[in-house]
Amino acid sequence: MKKEPANWLAVLKIAMPLCLSYIPIGLACGVLLHAGGLNTWLVALVSLIVYSGGAQFLIATMLTIHAPISQIVIMLFFLELRYALLGSSLSHYLKKSSHKFILGFAFSLNDENYAVNYLKFATDKYWTPSNALLVEHYALYTWAFSNVVGSLIGSSLHINLVIVDFALTALFLFMVTMQVKRRLTLLTAILAGALSAFFCVALKSTLGIVIATLLASTAGFLADRVIRSMAPGSSLLYKVRGPSGTRETINEQELTEERLLKEEQEKDKDHDHE
Amino acid sequence: MNDLALVLLAGVAAFIPRYFPMLFFSKRKIPDWFNEWMGFVPVSLFTALIVKQIFVTSTYTFSVGNIAAMISAVLVIVIAYFTRSMTLSVVLGLLLMWALTTFL
Repeated sequence: MKKEPANWLAVLKIAMPLCLSYIPIGLACGVLLHAGGLNTWLVALVSLIVYSGGAQFLIATMLTIHAPISQIVIMLFFLELRYALLGSSLSHYLKKSSHKFILGFAFSLNDENYAVNYLKFATDKYWTPSNALLVEHYALYTWAFSNVVGSLIGSSLHINLVIVDFALTALFLFMVTMQVKRRLTLLTAILAGALSAFFCVALKSTLGIVIATLLASTAGFLADRVIRSMAPGSSLLYKVRGPSGTRETINEQELTEERLLKEEQEKDKDHDHE
Repeated sequence: MNDLALVLLAGVAAFIPRYFPMLFFSKRKIPDWFNEWMGFVPVSLFTALIVKQIFVTSTYTFSVGNIAAMISAVLVIVIAYFTRSMTLSVVLGLLLMWALTTFL
């Protein structure tokens, strides 16, 4: 393997877009966590050990609606369960790594650095687990720093909570809009909303959110299975049409093309060796 | 003190699903049903939160009185759908909410 003269710099270059995109989100997250009642030290701590935009925004929301700790932690656990998925899909690149390394790697894993690392592992055969860990850490420090600055801004500003709270709602609305790719997902979302209103009012507690999430996701999953085995042509499985030429589709195309190109190059190299 | 406990427990809740499956599946294959189920969790959770914030009051009664939030929410969905930009959705959403609560 060729040794890079300044590996840390090469990795930093790869992590840079990720770090830059963390700054505004981290600032916003810091402001909201501060509004939710966490002091700057705790904002720093939560950014380092939870390290996930979605989870920290969830904590801020639950704090502003005065949910008890136990419920916040349960919700968080559910939200973070998706990392079981992401972590598992990276795990076969870490087969040769020690348990201690996997522990550290898992600790700083999140959605965005997963995306970067997964792509690098899939397309660059010189990409090592330690490079991947470095990407995680660059992003982690940027994220924690932005959060701390955000919480300091938050403490020096007087903020209208009704309006700032809507930042979270807008963020969640964006995430749902981006995730609804099929009619069945849309129905699951509507079901979750209806159940959430019902159980929150019926139980007079934010526990309604937990129950709604569990019931709706399980219903969506079971419906998906049943429909695919009983009526594979059902219109429920149709995709929801997105606006054409969106950034995401273009990115996906580029990624696929990039991977195909790399694979071809690797094949050529193999032939040369023979 | 309570806040510190929350942050530490949150750290534990964040760590468990990241670590154990990664360790476990470095030897085995992920079951399909788990993949599929997890695919429905974020959408359900986020919608449940949105509905709670817009339609359920702090005293846990159902209300369609938050007109500013309802109008802003619909417009944020439209903005998100066409721009696919998180920053635009949040910033324009905040501006809309500010304008609607000020002028309604």
